[in-house]
Amino acid sequence: MTFRQFAFNNVKRNSRQYMSYFFSCMFSVAVFFIYAVIMFHPEIDGHEFRQSVQRGILSAEIVIFVFSFLFVMYSTGAFVKSRKKEYGLLMTLGISKGKLNRLLITENTIIAVVSIVAGVLVGILFANLFLMSFSQILGLDGSLDFYIAPKAVLITVISYFAMFEINTLFVVWTLRTNAVIDLFRGTRAPKRVPKFSWILSIIGIGLVVAAYYIAWTAELYNIFYRMLPILGLIVPGTYLLYTQFSVAFIDLMKKRKSFYFKQTNLLTISELSYKLKDHARLLFFVTILSAVAFTASGVLYGALKSAETEASAFVPQDMSLLSKGEENILQMDTEVQKVTDRLEEENIDYKSITVDRTQAMFTEDGSERWLDMISYSDYKKLADLNGTEAIEEPGNNEIFVMLPNIVMPQEMNFPESIEIRSENSQQQVRVQKAESVVVNNKHTSFSGVVSDQLYESFASNSQPNERYRTVVFSIDNWTNDAEIIVDSMTRLDRKIISGRDASADFYLTMKNSLSHALFFGLFISVLFFLAAGSILYFKLYQDLDNDTAQYKALYRIGLTVKEMKNVATKQVAYLFFIPFSVAVVHTSFAFKALQNMLESSIILPSVLLISCYLLVYIIYFFFIRGLYISKIKQVM
Amino acid sequence: MSVLQATNISKVYGSKRGIEHKAIDNISLSIEKGEFVGVMGASGSGKTTLLNILSTIDHLSAGTLTINDQEITRLSKGKLAKFRRQEMGFIFQDFNLLDTLTIAENIMLPLTLDGWKVKEMENKLANVANQLGIATILRNRSFEVSGGQMQRAAIARAIIHEPAIIFADEPTGNLDSKSSKQVMEALAHLNKKKKATTLMVSHDPFAASFCERILFIKDGKIFNQIYKGDNRQTFFQEILNVQSMLGGDTDDLQTVRV
Repeated sequence: MTFRQFAFNNVKRNSRQYMSYFFSCMFSVAVFFIYAVIMFHPEIDGHEFRQSVQRGILSAEIVIFVFSFLFVMYSTGAFVKSRKKEYGLLMTLGISKGKLNRLLITENTIIAVVSIVAGVLVGILFANLFLMSFSQILGLDGSLDFYIAPKAVLITVISYFAMFEINTLFVVWTLRTNAVIDLFRGTRAPKRVPKFSWILSIIGIGLVVAAYYIAWTAELYNIFYRMLPILGLIVPGTYLLYTQFSVAFIDLMKKRKSFYFKQTNLLTISELSYKLKDHARLLFFVTILSAVAFTASGVLYGALKSAETEASAFVPQDMSLLSKGEENILQMDTEVQKVTDRLEEENIDYKSITVDRTQAMFTEDGSERWLDMISYSDYKKLADLNGTEAIEEPGNNEIFVMLPNIVMPQEMNFPESIEIRSENSQQQVRVQKAESVVVNNKHTSFSGVVSDQLYESFASNSQPNERYRTVVFSIDNWTNDAEIIVDSMTRLDRKIISGRDASADFYLTMKNSLSHALFFGLFISVLFFLAAGSILYFKLYQDLDNDTAQYKALYRIGLTVKEMKNVATKQVAYLFFIPFSVAVVHTSFAFKALQNMLESSIILPSVLLISCYLLVYIIYFFFIRGLYISKIKQVM
Repeated sequence: MSVLQATNISKVYGSKRGIEHKAIDNISLSIEKGEFVGVMGASGSGKTTLLNILSTIDHLSAGTLTINDQEITRLSKGKLAKFRRQEMGFIFQDFNLLDTLTIAENIMLPLTLDGWKVKEMENKLANVANQLGIATILRNRSFEVSGGQMQRAAIARAIIHEPAIIFADEPTGNLDSKSSKQVMEALAHLNKKKKATTLMVSHDPFAASFCERILFIKDGKIFNQIYKGDNRQTFFQEILNVQSMLGGDTDDLQTVRV
């Protein structure tokens, strides 16, 4: 047996232990590689208009790489730690430190090479599928050709190989400080009683609750300022929850003797108190990973699903065309004709209303601001078309200002009474607020509803350039024909029709940008999620030796296989589902913050998404529980 | 009344095609209530296999085994485990205490698994802890006490549920001579005072000299059987004599004879 054979055999015979580690590495290599294939695809590389896509891919690559780096570092470290005893033995047998380092480096290089090769192969296998779905999402004409740029292979191989080697060197370097006796003790050093502090536990809960409160009350205008404080509270809060509160909680359970001493509870709880403390950092890591995965994909998915409702909310009419000034208004009909012709050509049903508006201005805080007015009878027609409830007719000295959908806080403080004036008329009016039924006029700051009489007195005296005309459309099932609607608007003369708005336009933009984001987001989320699962498996596997010895002893004094399964299932379940549940709770508050900003309910999409994750998790759980139990059963 | 009755038991190792090895070859034995029986033999003689079979941890290849009027061969795996925790007590060479539990919790474990009430368990615990002189360390963790104390805690765990029979597998194997003496005295005391039926496997003649009857095993068969008279010292000498007759490994023989 040569030295290299020895290293090879070490890897080969530890393959079961290496398996989950290997699969996670392979997966991240494959994902990285697929993104690289797209990034360097000749039809994408170097096209300026796809710069945003490239930037998206690049940032995804960076996230994947950084994450893989951390994961490999953790896994290699844990793996070396679990084999410390073996190294201790080799050192007493007289292996030199240099040789041992070479052994470690050789072993890790083997793993690195195998997972890189496997990852690239898997990547090639799925690249075509990925390219097709990618072209679909980007709406490219025809699919991208199947082409693997050599650059993509090169960059994947080089960067991952370097990463593995750097991590190995780091682990070798940290191993150096240990004396042989420490290596021998390795993981078998006696477990110390988990300690906790009540103060820190309470601080932990306090931090999490505070973060929840901030997220719960977030609004669109302040969410960006609140994001950092929320993160700053939730991350240390979660950490304390695991390192302190979990132990405190179990300590409380132990004090309830009738519960603690009830059959297998004694085993489950006492084991758990050690495992939770031992694994606190790991569980914390898994929780944060899962929470990020859930939140990212949930927010994107929820936003995508609600795009239709959001579009309707932001743009009250399905389509609205606006002309300013007498001259343009006269030419408007022929322009509008273009749109209606197109709609009829495509057999799209629509209703349209023509509404005249007139312009005025008022002074607020010394600055002049423009507004336009519509008459109450027109308002009622619009409300009717939109299917919204109309307000009471305003009095002759009242104006109902229609607030735009996105309200900035400073705009909400309107003076109670204003003097509106046009070239030839003026009137002091009281201000009321109402929900908007028209698209904001891009030439003025506000739109208001006034009584027919007041409108008439302004309109009849207005200058030609103070007049506006809006044609609004209501189109059934506009989401289906969104592209046609957007297309029909492009034929309009921009000079004559100065305001062109359609829900369809907003909807399509939102949908496109979100589906790109979702695409990247989901991929990274799945990666995080799988990594979380494999970290857990890895940890369980490390504990397996100790656990089997313990179950062997318990079996002799009369623990039935059924009871063993019961205890083991509970322990594995806690390790799996505690971080999952905490992550779900974290995420639901993030969803609540998102809900505060959206019109439509995101409960259904978010529940759907979490259920998908849960399903995958449950399958994973049963798989690992099966492995774990069958391994223990061997000694029973 | 016999607590344990084994008739013509055998244990065969090896695959169907490969060479068969008879670890236990047609042994019959019976243990009466309140007896303290030792099993000795050279390494590889089959003494541990015998203990494993009698304690139902390993399966029989042939023969019948009856413990407390219950025929073991007929019980299912789950029933066997329950049977073990109610009718048997175990003492191991490496103690097998769970280091996540305190000494007290370790001792109460068999009762806990059987769903006893906390009050009753605590009464029992106080009782056995006093008998074995470990009342002061009950709140400690297993790794905080000495080997002798750990083994006495293991004995407490083995007897707390008043089993029909106690199996001890090299109970002094990991202990120094002083702790060995304490542990063996504790076992002998339990045997005298509480009529605790005990079967112990050991290769240590000193530990074995606390037994009342010793079976010597060679090549899977009972080679010899000796009884203790009034004097433990002469019994110890007898054990050494039989051992040299057996011609076991040299480490089984004492060079200094009394």
